[in-house]
Amino acid sequence: MQRRDFLRNLGVGAAGAVILPSVSFAADAPKPKGSNVLSYKDALKAVTGGKTAEVSAKVNLKVPEIAENGAVVPVTVEIDYPMTDSNYVKAIHVLTEKNANSRCIDVHLSPANGKAMLATRVKLGETQEIVAIAELSNGTFLMASQSVKVTIGGCG
Amino acid sequence: MAKRKSLIKIKPKSYKDGEVVKVSFMVMHPMETGLRKDKKTKELIPAEYIKKVVFEYKGKVITTMNVWETLSVNPVFTTYMKIDGAGELKVIFTDSKGEVQETVAKIKPKG
Amino acid sequence: MKKGMQIVLCVTLLSSLTFASEQFAMSDADRAMYEELLENNPADMMLAEGSEFLDELGGESALAKYLGVSEDALPSYIAGFPRYIEKFKMVVSIDQMLQGMMHDSGQKPYALKSSEMFNMSSYVKALANDEEINIDVNANKHMKEAYALGKVVFETKRGARGLSCLSCHNPSVIGGILRTQPLPDISAKGNASAATWPAYRMTKSALATLQKRFQGCMNNALLAVIPLGSKEMTALEVYFTDEAKGATIALPGLKR
Ligand code: HEC
Repeated sequence: MQRRDFLRNLGVGAAGAVILPSVSFAADAPKPKGSNVLSYKDALKAVTGGKTAEVSAKVNLKVPEIAENGAVVPVTVEIDYPMTDSNYVKAIHVLTEKNANSRCIDVHLSPANGKAMLATRVKLGETQEIVAIAELSNGTFLMASQSVKVTIGGCG
Repeated sequence: MAKRKSLIKIKPKSYKDGEVVKVSFMVMHPMETGLRKDKKTKELIPAEYIKKVVFEYKGKVITTMNVWETLSVNPVFTTYMKIDGAGELKVIFTDSKGEVQETVAKIKPKG
Repeated sequence: MKKGMQIVLCVTLLSSLTFASEQFAMSDADRAMYEELLENNPADMMLAEGSEFLDELGGESALAKYLGVSEDALPSYIAGFPRYIEKFKMVVSIDQMLQGMMHDSGQKPYALKSSEMFNMSSYVKALANDEEINIDVNANKHMKEAYALGKVVFETKRGARGLSCLSCHNPSVIGGILRTQPLPDISAKGNASAATWPAYRMTKSALATLQKRFQGCMNNALLAVIPLGSKEMTALEVYFTDEAKGATIALPGLKR
């Protein structure tokens, strides 16, 4: 057992502030893309079928301004709209502006949900906009977007 | 494949008929994008992610989700549902490798 | 994310230790958002599994009996770990105590670094939820010694960079930004770190115990990694837990 070794360097360390040499590194190579590549523009078209989605305060999109970790970014979308049999939110879609695959999730709701809301967590490769689109039973689309800053971190 | 650990949570824990409650489904799933390399072999880890999640309450589908690899590892899905009598809430997911798994919660409204 | 790249980044960014930078400070709204994440913490699934493992050993009543306390007193007793336990003749953390319990009930104990043990020991610590950390570092000479050793481990500068835990975790640097991460206040006055571990680590998509988290910092700061369950590691946990004494235990935590 070499237990004593853990503290072998007792007292050897330099005193004072944490000043370390800076290391430079080459720029990131182009990112490989997966099989599900779909740009934001194309994903939006796929969701709305080419109709315009109007920016609306009824779509309450909550995301952090700064993501603690791009691998787990909380997203909550709540739609301020009735959920009756004749008038309801049919779907909530979440897209991202810059991920290779813009699509995150489509949630098809029914009046049995009682309220139109979705909460989940997405991966973000870089700082970008998250977009939420509500599809209403009357065939119209509403949207909201918000930017999320992704800090580097990721180690430790 | 052993069953993946999963959990359905209902909030509040005690509810009445007609009440709208929060339902969360979470599952331990790697949500592999197909773009990550294995640290040891340096080979790409094949994509493996949840594609679909269906919420079925008393035999009726109330919510269907299409999902992509862009969701986080060990994903969580939260929506609301309106309590409409006692019965089972089943959450069924299908992943990109064709794995299908069902998680069941008993819905028991009080009064 | 590419691991090689990440390591380079860690080292690079260590050099950019800047203080009081507002640039990356989280807003209160953001914090609220992350608190909401806690509501549905993926670690809940792992603790649920841990509870099944404990059930195989007879559950909470068997655990209380093993520790010689009533079931009612179990949570507050657990809030006092690491403890000196006469049976083992040493100061132990919850995981080591559980190894003893498994051994004594004729089972092969889970390894300290196994996910089974992480899940079970985390579940057991969570039995003390809502209790205040009540570690007593003056309870006996063993605890006194462990505390003293833990303080030495915490304050000893070592490794290639000559850093100690204290270099980065001391009252005068709290809030300073290291690699975009604010240096956390680990005391009961701050985020009472010990009361929030075990936690789900978003960077690892896994549950980590306090000792495992210590190892993470040792790795990052280029300090030789001290093994889980070693005398020094347990002592470090004693010292670190005492820093958060009085804080209310809220598990599982959720960390970047
Ligand atoms: C180079 C600076 C540095 C050194 C040295 C260091 N840490 Fe840390 N530590 C950090 C930073 C930065 C964080 C926050 C990182 C994050 O949020 O992911 C942290 C976080 C932690 C946490 C988690 C706090 C919480 O609850 O959020 C623990 C526990 C911890 N350190 C313990 C230690 C111990 C024990 C040592 C000595 C073995 C040590 N650290 C050495 C920089 C350091």
